Amino acid sequence: MRASFDLTGFGAVLYKEFVHITRDRTTLFLALALPIVELIIFGYAVNLRVEHVAAAYLNEDRGAVSYRVLDALRASNQFDLVREAASRAELRRLIIGNHVKVAFDIPPHFSADVANRRGAALQVLVDGSDSNVAQPAYTAALAIGGALSAELGPPVTVVPSLVDVRARMLFNPSLRSANFFVPGLVGVIMQLITVFLMALSIVGEREAGTLDQLLVTPIGVTGLMLGKVLPYAAIGVVDFFAVLAAMVWIFGVPIAGSVGLLVVLAADFLIAALGLGLLISSVARNQVQALLMTFAATLPSILLSGFVFERDLMPAVLQWLGYAIPLTYFLEIVRGIVLRGAGLPELWPSITAMTILGLFLLTSSSMLFSRRSP
Amino acid sequence: MSDAPAICARGLTKRYGQREVVRNLTLEIAAGSIFGFLGPNGSGKSTTIKMLCGLVAPTAGRAMVNGFDVVREDREVRRSIGYMSQSFSLYNDLTVAENLTFYGRAYSLGASRRRARSDAVMTLTGIRRYAGELAGNLSGGWKQRLALACALLHEPSVVFLDEPTAGIDPVARRDLWDLLFSLASRGMTLFVTTHYMDEAERCTALGYIDEGELVAWGTLTALRQLPGVTQPGTVRYRVTVENIMPAFAAAQRLGYVRDVTIFGRDLHCVVDEAVPPDRLHNDLAIAAGSIEALDRIEPSIEDVFVALTRARSAA
Repeated sequence: MRASFDLTGFGAVLYKEFVHITRDRTTLFLALALPIVELIIFGYAVNLRVEHVAAAYLNEDRGAVSYRVLDALRASNQFDLVREAASRAELRRLIIGNHVKVAFDIPPHFSADVANRRGAALQVLVDGSDSNVAQPAYTAALAIGGALSAELGPPVTVVPSLVDVRARMLFNPSLRSANFFVPGLVGVIMQLITVFLMALSIVGEREAGTLDQLLVTPIGVTGLMLGKVLPYAAIGVVDFFAVLAAMVWIFGVPIAGSVGLLVVLAADFLIAALGLGLLISSVARNQVQALLMTFAATLPSILLSGFVFERDLMPAVLQWLGYAIPLTYFLEIVRGIVLRGAGLPELWPSITAMTILGLFLLTSSSMLFSRRSP
Repeated sequence: MSDAPAICARGLTKRYGQREVVRNLTLEIAAGSIFGFLGPNGSGKSTTIKMLCGLVAPTAGRAMVNGFDVVREDREVRRSIGYMSQSFSLYNDLTVAENLTFYGRAYSLGASRRRARSDAVMTLTGIRRYAGELAGNLSGGWKQRLALACALLHEPSVVFLDEPTAGIDPVARRDLWDLLFSLASRGMTLFVTTHYMDEAERCTALGYIDEGELVAWGTLTALRQLPGVTQPGTVRYRVTVENIMPAFAAAQRLGYVRDVTIFGRDLHCVVDEAVPPDRLHNDLAIAAGSIEALDRIEPSIEDVFVALTRARSAA
């Protein structure tokens, strides 16, 4: 058996695949429209910005300052004061009953303490059971408090701190989670669509019996594979531009680095994704197997690539597994270029790894695809 | 055409685990012949074809098609053969013309040659009027013609047809066979599997495979002479009777009747040569009600294969 590079029939397969794809309008529409729909849905769904968190308050002071505090809270986007409690016990009940996530407790003499510069304490109760909300809410409350104290009185030099730690956010200063997630979604969505379409393509012909008919012709394995890959690569490229445009214009995430570099590297990533799909399609004996294998490959890609969870915090084994996933590298690339304006000098290790992985997947699928049944 | 056989297999064997699907198959098929390959379902017909086309790797043995080794020279084999699989395996969502274009390109035919050949096979199969129709919308008979047209596009010298007439109507079946004859008359070698005995009767050579073993192969005349088919000193009569079952039972009781088989309203009896036909007529007359005809016949293909299968199971 010849596993050599045989491009025979590439044009024939390409021709046929384009007829298939253009004839099946529904699938074509889904392949092109779904990524944008998914981006919009997921882009909003994974919004971790804490806004309009339901909050309750207890005002035992009822002095002028306490009302200023409440006004400041109301004026902020972060909190919606939905309930006023009559007692501390009620505040707790509101949190336990999940009516509010945050409660502000203004003690008696609060206004007086501020006036006397004795340092007034305002207690914030945060529902820690939802950590996604708790930490940002806590930070927001501190920020509002800080702003208020600056506003209220002449600067009080209470304790001059020896070490003055001031954080300054580089890149994404507004800490918008869309900026973090949407570029990642570009990669995830490209992988989802291309791997699925590709995985079903060859095994579909195997099931329909058309593969045997095709294999008695002189069509070479390489020609067959490339002819199958190219049309889906074209769909992947269109998807990429659509999703990128949605990222910039719908989610307002600017691209800090070179768009040209991003496009080239997206094509590089497509090779890897299509290689994965092709590998599945060459190994699977029927479409159900192909679907399950695609599923088995997709979930780890999303969980281990750093798309949602920080890879540095994972156990070493999972980190290593992540290195075998092309999406891991593409996420670093796309976030690097879009958010930090990174270029080749910073990204080359990821680029190299992703390219090698892609070529490995492509060639191994060609080799595993047996022209002859065993 | 040289005298070298178009297809030649030596000890061809396919094993899946412990199961031997094709066992030690040896045969030779002359160029320009129509070889009818018969056998029950699951007897190894399709596997044999797939090995000869290079789709299935043989476990042992070797085969040459058009002088090329099917394993080592698979590329040359593929260029010189056409294959029509058991089920329709062209693209339903492509039109007739698009399917032809695809196969033309698959065989790397240049644009002008492709046009000329598409034209020729469309004329040959008469499918031109459906050129713009999706293949999936064609009837069974027309699908088979399209499949044949695609298989003939690159002018192969050997064409394998795996049950080409299964599931198509009698008129389409007749038309297809007429087409096959005209192809064979131009020197093309056809390897055809079928279940229909009347189709087998039209082949120039036959092979019969049972449980993976090629029981016999050769021309029909040669097969009829096989000792297992026509026992020396016996003749074969076809008796058309009124009451078939009582006549069958009566024939079985006659000592000089070596074998009896029912074919519709006929009995085929293998009788000692010395026994005159009148005696058989008289012995069966009472049980049969009336005997409408009694003729001496040559063994039919069905007789041949029934005899061969029985001889095998007896052995």
